[in-house]
Amino acid sequence: MMEKREEMCYQFVEDEIASLISPPEGGSSFTALLELPANQVVKLLDSPVGFPVPEVGNDVNLVKEEPVELRNSEDSDPVVSKSVKRKDREKKVKLPVKKSKNESDADKEKLPYVHVRARRGQATDSHSLAERARREKINARMKLLQELVPGCNKISGTAMVLDEIINHVQSLQRQVEFLSMRLAAVHPSIDINIDNMFSAESGSLMDCNFHGMVSPPLSLDGQINGHSQQLWQPDGLPPQPLWGAEEVSPNFITPENSLLSYDSSGNSGEFPNT
Amino acid sequence: MNTMERKKKVKLCADIAMASAKTTPTSWSNALISNARKCEQGTVLVDKLIGPESQLKLQKVSNNMISFHKRVQCKKILKRSCNAAKKTKRVGDSRLNVATIIAKRLVKKRTKVLKRLVPGGESVDEFSLIKEALDYILSLKVQVDVMRSVVNATEVLNGDKVMKSVK
Repeated sequence: MMEKREEMCYQFVEDEIASLISPPEGGSSFTALLELPANQVVKLLDSPVGFPVPEVGNDVNLVKEEPVELRNSEDSDPVVSKSVKRKDREKKVKLPVKKSKNESDADKEKLPYVHVRARRGQATDSHSLAERARREKINARMKLLQELVPGCNKISGTAMVLDEIINHVQSLQRQVEFLSMRLAAVHPSIDINIDNMFSAESGSLMDCNFHGMVSPPLSLDGQINGHSQQLWQPDGLPPQPLWGAEEVSPNFITPENSLLSYDSSGNSGEFPNT
Repeated sequence: MNTMERKKKVKLCADIAMASAKTTPTSWSNALISNARKCEQGTVLVDKLIGPESQLKLQKVSNNMISFHKRVQCKKILKRSCNAAKKTKRVGDSRLNVATIIAKRLVKKRTKVLKRLVPGGESVDEFSLIKEALDYILSLKVQVDVMRSVVNATEVLNGDKVMKSVK
């Protein structure tokens, strides 16, 4: 069940990123911003799904970096990784893997470092294998995240990367708050009254606003198209009124005024002009 | 109306717009929308912005999420008991074990924080959490860019308006 979900997840992420990359008409800032990391992300997405052996070896080495002392782990790791592949149904190589699993059991007794692992392995064999499979998956995803977050490429170790990611998310959220504060402060005279805005009478108001706002040529249009075609949905109601209100046009202020301050009757007369 | 309330409303609108812009709904987008629906201002907004049919879909998805959340909790309880049993067995190689234990503890702390940050992160297992965070970061970047250009546009236009009125 986990595997199915994971395949769906991969599919989903690929779809999302593909839709984000696809046609940026305007060469504007954030599509360029999106294109580069998204391309890399797509590239990276392709590689873990295939899971060739040497790459898994690297991943396993990544896993081993967490404990500070790495002794004879490299010897046992490729063998262990092969046995792990048996668990992952995505892997195509199955027969040789089974053999290596028996080998790994034999090896576990030979190497001194593995002495500890043999104990754990004997205690909960399937558990440790499943855990290792989990770790592989998580590390693959962490690689993707590393590509996405700037400045994470050089950091090794899950904890530090997670740290960077958390900082990034927090900074982005703070930026959103700050920008919304600026937006709110830009029109101090306008009264945003949401309940009235969406009352029954204003149903037609929204439609009129929508029609008025689609036509003017926009410098933002390229950006919005680049962002996703998802924004322009056929039924027209959802995000349009918000983002549509923010399109650059000579009539910019008036649709927004009429949207935001339904109370003032003077403004509501203006939008038919757009 | 003071700025704080306006800012909250603007942010709410922006969040809902961002979440509803995803055609293939992810866990965080659904969580954002259901969170928005909980506060009284948000219900009206969500109803009007998103429309009733997609709300039904959202309901289904959130029901699935709730059952999945329960499953995740059960798994966690099981895992915790297993780990407790394991820890009593761990004896030798103190240095190596201490290092791994410390590293794991750090990672766990970070994942807890990340779960709090990403909307809907608490009801997702660790593996999908990373995928959700990836997606969320992308959308946040886009949102920041769009809002920034909006603010610039309004400021430019306001500047023009002021100039015109001065003239």
